[in-house]
Amino acid sequence: MDFQISDLSLLAPHMVVTGTALLVLLVEAFRPGKGRSDATYLSILGLLVAAGLTLKQFGAPASTGFAGMLIADGYAAFFNMVAYVVGILTLLVSDSYFRSEEYEHGEFHALMLMSLVGMMLMSGSNHLMLMFLALETMSISIYAMAGYMRTKEGTESSFKYFLLGGASSAFMLYGIALLYASCGTTSLTGMVEYFSTLPSLSDSPMALAGIALVAAGFCFKIAAFPFHVWTPDVYQGAPTSVTAFMATGVKAAAFAAFFRIFVVAFPIASGAWTSAFWVLAVATMTMGNFAALAQRDVKRMLAYSSIAHAGYLLIGMVTATSEAGTGMLFYLISYVFMNIGAFGIVIMLGKKGEDRTTLEDYAGVGFKKPLLGAALTIFMFSMAGIPPTAGFIGKFLIFKAAVHEGYIWLAVLGVLNSAASVYYYLRVLVYMYFRESESESGDVIRTSPLSILAAAISVIAILVLGIAPGYLVQIAEAATAAF
Amino acid sequence: MVENFVPVLILFLLAAAFGLGTVAISSLLGPKRPTKVKQETYECGMVVDPPAYRPFHVKYYLIAMAFVVFDVEVVFLYPWAVKFKQLGLFGLVEMLVFIFILLVGYAYIWKKGVLEWE
Amino acid sequence: MQIESPNILLIVVAAVVMVLYVFTNSAVLVWVERKVSAHIQRRPGPFEVGPFGLLQTAIDGLKLMAKQLIIPGKADKRLFMLAPVLSFVPPIAALLTVPFGKVVQVQNLDIGILFILSLAALNVLAILIAGWASANKYSLFGAVRSVAQNIAYEIPLLLSLLTAVLWMGTLNLGELVDAQGGFWFVFTPFGFVAFLIYFVTGMAETNRAPFDLPEAESELTAGFHTEYSGMGFGLFFLGEYTNMILVSAIATSLFLGGYNLPFVTLNGEGVLWELIRVLIFLAKAYFLIFVMIWMRWTFPRVRFDQLLNLCWKVLIPFSLVNLAAAAIWIKAVGG
Repeated sequence: MDFQISDLSLLAPHMVVTGTALLVLLVEAFRPGKGRSDATYLSILGLLVAAGLTLKQFGAPASTGFAGMLIADGYAAFFNMVAYVVGILTLLVSDSYFRSEEYEHGEFHALMLMSLVGMMLMSGSNHLMLMFLALETMSISIYAMAGYMRTKEGTESSFKYFLLGGASSAFMLYGIALLYASCGTTSLTGMVEYFSTLPSLSDSPMALAGIALVAAGFCFKIAAFPFHVWTPDVYQGAPTSVTAFMATGVKAAAFAAFFRIFVVAFPIASGAWTSAFWVLAVATMTMGNFAALAQRDVKRMLAYSSIAHAGYLLIGMVTATSEAGTGMLFYLISYVFMNIGAFGIVIMLGKKGEDRTTLEDYAGVGFKKPLLGAALTIFMFSMAGIPPTAGFIGKFLIFKAAVHEGYIWLAVLGVLNSAASVYYYLRVLVYMYFRESESESGDVIRTSPLSILAAAISVIAILVLGIAPGYLVQIAEAATAAF
Repeated sequence: MVENFVPVLILFLLAAAFGLGTVAISSLLGPKRPTKVKQETYECGMVVDPPAYRPFHVKYYLIAMAFVVFDVEVVFLYPWAVKFKQLGLFGLVEMLVFIFILLVGYAYIWKKGVLEWE
Repeated sequence: MQIESPNILLIVVAAVVMVLYVFTNSAVLVWVERKVSAHIQRRPGPFEVGPFGLLQTAIDGLKLMAKQLIIPGKADKRLFMLAPVLSFVPPIAALLTVPFGKVVQVQNLDIGILFILSLAALNVLAILIAGWASANKYSLFGAVRSVAQNIAYEIPLLLSLLTAVLWMGTLNLGELVDAQGGFWFVFTPFGFVAFLIYFVTGMAETNRAPFDLPEAESELTAGFHTEYSGMGFGLFFLGEYTNMILVSAIATSLFLGGYNLPFVTLNGEGVLWELIRVLIFLAKAYFLIFVMIWMRWTFPRVRFDQLLNLCWKVLIPFSLVNLAAAAIWIKAVGG
């Protein structure tokens, strides 16, 4: 074990974000109940500074620090960027929500930044222990955020997430313990060395059990079948801005660590886990899509649709080539934009103390608030994977990689699923444009300049990525070239 | 290493034996005349009301949570302190960062009034 | 009595000696406490039984044993009887690694101070169990207060001891004493601050006045041991006095140079030298105990909010800053 002061430079972006979180906490402590908008601007500033620091890591060669625990490469830098985008967009969309609820405290921002630090560390962890700590840092902040507004639903959501999340962490930790017992190390590099001495994985059933348990822990975090049951309740009960945050940030960070660990450390077991993930991917997307068909509540529908998206992303895990990794990276960043954008619109359509998320509440909104309707249309198109949106390119890249590796049936099932999903995404549009508004739907909205900015950023990003994806694809390719 | 703890076990057992022994002797020597009144809950001779198990103030929970944070911090500091002289400058910087983060949390709970008792 | 390979017979003898020592120590201390308090209050104190009333506590102990053990009808009987034993055993076991002399130490452990602290922390549990099992509101409130107090004071206590560990780089009590040689840790500025903090928190940890809120008679009858009678009460009593000797023994070994005289290291071989060392150690420890008794009978009891504020707002920040300053000093000057 060898630690250098210079290792700290790898942590510079993380330290900036942590420092911002602490600063926000102090602002709140010394000016309780007054500092929310200050906290918003401060957090965004901190994230932008961190983004500036991360930019420098893109071209640089991969380097490790803290005795090989932390790795800074293009892949980690990419996911750090995803984390900043998630953070900034969430801050922007929650502005109108907190404004209408007259909630003026800053702890939310501090918790969110802490959670982002966890996400950033997850994508850069080269060691299962660091990964686990990062996962807990991320999750514990989110448990608190889900119950942040102290409503009945929010508390229920927070508690469900906490209890089930605790159980899944236990699974994962047990898996890590088994891997440690069989490999004698929990560093990814060390595990690769150990596995390379084994003729086949059947020589080490304990390691296989450990891999399975770690996979189960990840499947919980990404809401994959059969570990998805918590998702609809938790997503629906939490404040919508928190839902947006956990649907995107947690999923991206969990996939980041999931992909790195499985592709780097467990290639020997790929025969075992690709077939398992094949089944999981098909089950997850089918389950998510068919359950979403039946939903009358837009927030719940988006929760099920996020399960389906996890299924598409799992196709990338099955393929497990750097090409699939590129697809996953692209898919995740477009998923972040379209999902937070959609949740942002859901927030705006509510009013103080009332969320208004049933389909009936959307009737006629397309004519009453044309811009809002247009934005939601683009998000729904992107989620359904209709060109020329980013969602289409993401799906295309993932399916293409699967076909290249010979998983033709998997790609076919993925396409069929996407086609089925069009029904429920477009139903929202049907309500918006082809139904008479029965009540006050769309008359009163809560909005703020920052939230409109968030929607605008998301729309532009989705269209730009959909029409001219080349630049981002290149970055993603560079980030996953090492796998 | 393990044999170092044999005396620990022996002393534990002996102390427990002495403790239980004195209680045993006392219950042999002492009178045993329980009455209903004698076995009632002590309340200065008055009728006991209300029952003992009532919720206590939420402050105690907050204090207990703050304690856990600090206690875990100290647990981390102990191995660090033993090896501090071998760790070089890195050890100092890391720990100062650690203590600093904790101090921010401390300032936060102080300002938020967790430590006030009225 | 330190040994290379475990010699069971020797260990058992040592352990028996230790337990007997605890009993005598408590008896003597109770007598000392009553005498000191009496003289502070201009009374003669016990003088009927034996010369200077010396046998008073022995008779009291016998009386306690002959009393009826009353277990309240509503109490949880098993927990009720477990609590006094749990408060009595750990402090005795903790004395195991205290270096009374170079050789007079039942067992030298590498994790010595950590071992003692972990056992001392069990006291909170005993108090909580006692308060809960009694099914009496005075007991419960006494216990809850006591736990709040003990856990709060545990932090500065650990931090002040940590300063000593940091300075000397070991957890082994024997090595800690030797590392101080003639130059006691309390002579350094950091050691001095740490010692003051430790002594205050140590008194709070033993639940003694002016920090004896858990048993504040005026409001809580007798706190967590309201319902205890006979030997149940006796064991709590023994536990408290054992804790006193433990607290002062730790202070002596970590801050006051253990069995060494100031600026003089006593390295002589042989029984006589060892006897001198043990006497020096005990003299220091008992002097500290005397100070504790003295303070108990001089200062009024603090209020509960004052007590917790003193800990959270004064002792914890000071001990943290003291620790950080010591760490920086070691790196800058080289301790």
